[in-house]
Amino acid sequence: MTKKRIVIALAGNSNVGKSVIFNHLTGMHQHIGNWPGKTVERAEGTLHFKGYTVDIVDLPGIYSLSTFSIEELITREYIAIENPDLVINVVDASVLERNLYFTLQLVELETPMIVALNQMDMAKRKGVKIDYKKLEKILGVSVIPTVAPSQVGIYDLLQESIHVIEKGDAVPSKISYGEEVEEKIQELTELLGRLHLPYPARWVAIKVLEGDEQLEERIRQIDPKILSTARKLAEEIESIHGHLCSTVITSERYEAAGRIAREVQQIVQPVNPPFRERLHALTTNKILGYPIMAAVILSIFFGIFSFGDYTSGLIGDFLYSFEPIFLNIFGTGIAGDLIWGGAVEGLIAGITIALPYLLPFYLMLYFLEDSGYLSRIAFLMDNLMHKIGLHGKAFIPMMLGFGCNVPACLGCRIMETERERLLAIFVVTLVPCAATTVIILGLVGAFVGVEWALLLYVIDLVVIFVLGKVAFKALPGEPTGLIMEIHDYRVPHVETVVKQTWFRLWEFVKMAFPLIIAGSFVIKLADILGLLEPIADFLSPITVVWLGLPAITGITLIFGVLRKELTLIMLATLLGTANFAEVPGFGPVQMIVFTLVAMLYIPCVATIGALVKELGWKKAWLITAFEITFAIVVGGIAYRVLLLAGI
Amino acid sequence: MELPLTQLKEGESGIIISISTPRRHGYGRHGHTWGFQRRLEDMGVTPGTKVTVVKSAPFHGPIELQVRGSRLAIGRGMAERILVRVER
Repeated sequence: MTKKRIVIALAGNSNVGKSVIFNHLTGMHQHIGNWPGKTVERAEGTLHFKGYTVDIVDLPGIYSLSTFSIEELITREYIAIENPDLVINVVDASVLERNLYFTLQLVELETPMIVALNQMDMAKRKGVKIDYKKLEKILGVSVIPTVAPSQVGIYDLLQESIHVIEKGDAVPSKISYGEEVEEKIQELTELLGRLHLPYPARWVAIKVLEGDEQLEERIRQIDPKILSTARKLAEEIESIHGHLCSTVITSERYEAAGRIAREVQQIVQPVNPPFRERLHALTTNKILGYPIMAAVILSIFFGIFSFGDYTSGLIGDFLYSFEPIFLNIFGTGIAGDLIWGGAVEGLIAGITIALPYLLPFYLMLYFLEDSGYLSRIAFLMDNLMHKIGLHGKAFIPMMLGFGCNVPACLGCRIMETERERLLAIFVVTLVPCAATTVIILGLVGAFVGVEWALLLYVIDLVVIFVLGKVAFKALPGEPTGLIMEIHDYRVPHVETVVKQTWFRLWEFVKMAFPLIIAGSFVIKLADILGLLEPIADFLSPITVVWLGLPAITGITLIFGVLRKELTLIMLATLLGTANFAEVPGFGPVQMIVFTLVAMLYIPCVATIGALVKELGWKKAWLITAFEITFAIVVGGIAYRVLLLAGI
Repeated sequence: MELPLTQLKEGESGIIISISTPRRHGYGRHGHTWGFQRRLEDMGVTPGTKVTVVKSAPFHGPIELQVRGSRLAIGRGMAERILVRVER
């Protein structure tokens, strides 16, 4: 039997259970990458069903097919140009009207589609009853009710998908808008029909009336006259309705969605007492919301750090127990030194960070996200984040940054616009990560005093605040605000959470490990070749003269590029003692300056990798160079201030 | 009475009249502000729609709205630009 290959794409709003359906359909046969040239995630998976090889593409969760975000552009280009055999529109049955607004846009795009009416259980709980047969009739496509977490309807969904692809009748009915608008759409559709664009003419007509820049540009290149006609028609609509044409069309589309929703749904008494509503009210409460949030975040951090610390030691001990065997094979000469001390120790370092800290971190993050608590945190923190020019959603990557800056940088993708992403990433690289905390507590906290360690944290927060504000003012573009859906609380779907954790962890390993290993190797090589001393001497105008530190710190700061806590470990190695208090010329002032510089001076090599991935080489180097310079300047000033203060 | 959304009390409802943008760029040319008006509209905040203010976060934080059966959080800056009609 020859196997036929078909492509099915999943599309829908955020938080409608799309990824749960994706996971059920594809199991572990999935691959997460990026859309070509874009920092938007592309999840794909394969399954075999009734002699078909089915590729499932999980499109980003969006609310519209305009050009507001990169995600929206990618989705519409994918559907229109790459023509998947079928689009499964995943719809949240409990928020039908808003979801149908997106469905209607797929209808406009004349996509072969079926609808997965998901979260039927949540709709029922809210007292929403939906006549899905009626919805089928109105939309002209199959509608399958599903409850994704308990796999209800998933098989039917797949079966129906194949069925309609074979029959080839998945193109939805046309949905008409109000009379005046409809007239203009049809007039324009006729004109555009002659252009043979790769999109349906009616869709282009609607989008051009909405003022879609991307499509206008395309048409301008072929026939600019059509654009002036379109503009005239749009102005007519504007003068009749007194709103922007795009507003009028959006309203019409929502009216249509609302009409359909009212026709197919029946609101009855909610089934359960509204426990979730009370939980929502409590966790966003003006007074209680904040201590609850603080308690949740702190206990998660405490849990992760105690678990991480313990397991990290355990794994480290285990891996280091291979050292003698290894050195037996390769000898203690240069080769053994280079391979063990360079490459393998880099690998061990990666493992002892990634597994014990990042694994629970990601688990908790996706658990909170799936439950809906993260959007409540964004709601509570919006005002504070506005002070640095960002909005509530940016608090989430910032929170991640306290664990590790790498996932935090990647997490900045939740910001909608490029400007916000850049700002958020910049701020995130200044957040003291777990490794920085090791230095702050291990050096200043242990040898100078806890109050000084706290002061350093405060300084870091002030730096974040000030630099964030400056970057906010300096970057072109309008400030943006929070516009976010707060979906109802739900029980997280464990399988999806685990899978997301696994793939995200794998992404980290692929990106960071080669950098850490290569970096360790290069520095070890420099060490063997006797280059470290000359480098330290070379840096001494900065380290000794400007910062007032021992020359040896130059070397440790270079090691810190690999991983920040290496600055401290190397310092102990090079000084030959971990009791820093007895080192001459390394008093409290030096300790504070050293820690301050280490805290601010550079995102580690893995973070630089993440920066390159998200922002490109140029911006990555710009941020790196800036932070090094900034740290040195601040360190030097701090040195002089501390001397003057007589500490 | 016509008021910005931020003037509504918790639990109060109104009908959206318009979303004002600080700068009009003319038809078809839009900066980010236009983009955010677009975004609000895509989330269902369109003229003629009923909105209910559920909660106003403290210290001039965002506003929680009920609109078209869904729950939205909107930053105060944006909410100030949404003009609504209320019966008082």
